[in-house]
Amino acid sequence: MADQMSQLECSIETIINIFHQYSVRLQHPDKLNQKELKQLVKKELPNFLKRQKKNDYAINKIMEDLDTNGDKELDFEEFSILVGRLTLASHEEMHKTAPEGEGHSHGPGFGEGGQDHCHSHGGHSHGGHGHGHSH
Amino acid sequence: MLTELESAMNSLIEVYHRYSLEKGNYHALYRDDLKKLLETECPLYMKKKDADTWFKELDINSDGAINFEEFLILVIKAGVDAHKEIHKE
Repeated sequence: MADQMSQLECSIETIINIFHQYSVRLQHPDKLNQKELKQLVKKELPNFLKRQKKNDYAINKIMEDLDTNGDKELDFEEFSILVGRLTLASHEEMHKTAPEGEGHSHGPGFGEGGQDHCHSHGGHSHGGHGHGHSH
Repeated sequence: MLTELESAMNSLIEVYHRYSLEKGNYHALYRDDLKKLLETECPLYMKKKDADTWFKELDINSDGAINFEEFLILVIKAGVDAHKEIHKE
């Protein structure tokens, strides 16, 4: 992969890294089980799933919905569907909260700020890319 | 304050709009917009399929433009591929 990642590549890499931070914890290292999904939802999606209850029942529902191959765990492909849906919801929310006026504009959506290291081109690319990882 | 994961997802929206706002409808990537996006954001992807093939594949409702939902299909595919690549390394 190129040394300088594009914003799209950087965002995708962040999503994969966060998935792995949770998937390695228990059982299958490349899949999220119910507990890992619950931890991820609570820690990593507090604003995007603000209105969503996070009890076991609710997490099980999310799991059931995404677990298309029925193995009671989420692989990265199944998890991506959640990412896609939430990104779509975030975009819709930005339009709901957009100021009125001419042209295209976004409101804050589900929230603002945060540490987005993929934000701009150039600048501080986080080095150390390419050391790969294995489970 | 958004988390890193949430910011990364919003970053995808930003990428889409960088190309979709160039002309016409604000939520439409036309054929040449998509080409520019692919060339700039995921050049590796152009090696597998050219921009025209991508366009046909992503324009599910065949309205001649890629809307945000259709763009997310590209993102998911690129993500799933990138994940596979990481495990090959």
